[in-house]
Amino acid sequence: MKIVVAYKWAPNPQDLEVRADGTVDEARGKPAVSEYDPVAFELARRLADETGGEVVGLTVGAAAIDTPLARKAALSRGLDRLVLVADDALAGADSTRLAAVLAAAVRAIGGVDLVLAGDSSVDVAEGQVPLTAAAQLGWLGLGRVTAVTPAAEGLSVERDTPAGVAVLAVRTPVVLAATADAVVPRVAGMKDILAAAKKPVEVLALAALDVPAPAVTLATLGTAKPSGGDRRAVLFDGSDPASAASQLVGALRSAGVL
Amino acid sequence: MNASNASQSWVVVADDPAVTGLVEVARTVADEVVAVVVGARPVADTVAAGVDRVVWLGEPGAVPLEAFAPQVAELVAAARPVAVVGAATPAGRALLGAVAARTQAPVLGGVRTVSVADGRVVVTHAVMGGIAERTVALEGGPAVLAVEAGAVPAGGATAPVAEVAGAPLDAATVTQVRPKVRAGVDLGAASVVVGVGRGLKAEADLGLIRGLAAAVHGEVACSRPLAEGVEWLPKESYIGISGQHVAPDLYVAVAISGQLQHMVGVRDAKVIVAVNNDKNAPVFGQCDYGVVGDLYQVVPALTAALGGSDD
Ligand SMILES: Cc1cc2nc3c(=O)[nH]c(=O)nc-3n(C[C@H](O)[C@H](O)[C@H](O)COP(=O)(O)OP(=O)(O)OC[C@H]3O[C@@H](n4cnc5c(N)ncnc54)[C@H](O)[C@@H]3O)c2cc1C
Ligand SMILES: Nc1ncnc2c1ncn2[C@@H]1O[C@H](COP(=O)(O)O)[C@@H](O)[C@H]1O
Repeated sequence: MKIVVAYKWAPNPQDLEVRADGTVDEARGKPAVSEYDPVAFELARRLADETGGEVVGLTVGAAAIDTPLARKAALSRGLDRLVLVADDALAGADSTRLAAVLAAAVRAIGGVDLVLAGDSSVDVAEGQVPLTAAAQLGWLGLGRVTAVTPAAEGLSVERDTPAGVAVLAVRTPVVLAATADAVVPRVAGMKDILAAAKKPVEVLALAALDVPAPAVTLATLGTAKPSGGDRRAVLFDGSDPASAASQLVGALRSAGVL
Repeated sequence: MNASNASQSWVVVADDPAVTGLVEVARTVADEVVAVVVGARPVADTVAAGVDRVVWLGEPGAVPLEAFAPQVAELVAAARPVAVVGAATPAGRALLGAVAARTQAPVLGGVRTVSVADGRVVVTHAVMGGIAERTVALEGGPAVLAVEAGAVPAGGATAPVAEVAGAPLDAATVTQVRPKVRAGVDLGAASVVVGVGRGLKAEADLGLIRGLAAAVHGEVACSRPLAEGVEWLPKESYIGISGQHVAPDLYVAVAISGQLQHMVGVRDAKVIVAVNNDKNAPVFGQCDYGVVGDLYQVVPALTAALGGSDD
């Protein structure tokens, strides 16, 4: 079984600075493998070991996603090899465009049975890319996946749905996005980090991929720093809990919320 | 996609009749709202109370609703609507993703306002996990929008429901559903919510939080780690960017650090109170009132000051 793990190399927006005019200064952000994507790496590795398969990491984005540190961070998490599409034309790309490039890269890799992804990315956090990518490929895409095991014909997949845990018989190829707590990912050890340096990396040129052109143009009319971030905290010292509590309750009563 | 049908917008429904939020947005940009419903017939009938026309894809049986996504996309694209609106849920996003792939239009999430100006759809939405907002005007294709689902439409006028034979991808069959044991919670309706985070040491200590919630007539909620990971509370109880968005009169964050991904879910709360023993916790920069102290002392004191009792 040939498994692609789609993962994102991105900063936590908590560490970014938003200017007063609502534009974002990304300079201070420290990109990393997106918080929940190691779950997808782990699911992929376990499945590949059970089926004698291969795990290919895949990430797409601006040129800055391809650094020695970024390569090592991904390759030390149980991948057999890595494929990147790193082009500044993808800076700030929306989920449809990222999904189109991912789908084109999956086609270029060829013979892929399964694309595994994380729940939602640390920066955008919409859980949209894998589902759009599935549609770009013409494959079924399922989110909320909590378990994947090999089955007679394809895969047995468990999902967390509003009604309960659904068990599905799934034929490949398919795109699956894992829940954040599907499995506990292993922590990369020194051996994994050293081995990472020797694993193959392939950089696909964006121009060489068959990516459909975006149909919609977005004209930015304005940006803003969201309101609500400017609450001014009145702090009470809890070292005297009873006094802090009565002050707080008093304040809430006069504010009319109790 | 040129020459969109400017008078029509579509809502895509993934087995969940809570569509008032979708319809409201769809109506701001077009006179006629058409729903395409994947799911059982009663879902289509319920949705019919809120829209002008329903296209129903038949009983899904054991086929997961995501398998209908390509067909939904074809139907929507053929109508060339000015906007396509779906729920910002995993199921809703599967349908929206197919529409996006079919039309090569972006899916805009975190939607705050939608309007039409000079014949273009204008959307203000949160970006980068909610740290910033952006207003954009769209041209060249439909506005594909992921919005808060809202409520189930009240009965009344019922639009016609037309059945179109379902043509799902032949790729998966649901073989079993193990029902949830825990009942859901309705945080959306609560005027007071008490959220608890990873500073709580043991599951048994939830009693303290329940006591406080009872004293303020509120519901108990939590940060993600308490619902996913340790599972001390049901998944429907966690608040944040991937969880529930709530706008109560009062939100009390107990032993929650105040990470962006959590606080986005309560940004519309009227008053936010934080209890945390770390005076440098980011939550103190995002609340109206704070108590710097140990929850194991502050929460019982607060419950008592409110006239409640610990259990
Ligand atoms: C893509 C993505 C999506 C996410 N979505 C969500 C989401 O929807 N919702 C969500 O909640 N999180 C979400 N997260 C996780 C989020 O980033 C934080 O990790 C999480 O909110 C932290 O939870 P916490 O505040 O309970 O825990 P911590 O950050 O560990 O904070 C615990 C706090 O408790 C305090 N404390 C400890 N002991 C005591 C005591 N005795 N008395 C008082 N205070 C005490 C500590 O000072 C600390 O501030 C998401 C993350 C990512 C990457
Ligand atoms: N640029 C990207 N390259 C590869 N995978 C991605 C990219 N963006 C998102 N993904 C995958 O899609 C998941 C959901 O991302 P999002 O839709 O941004 O919340 C992530 O957890 C990744 O697994």
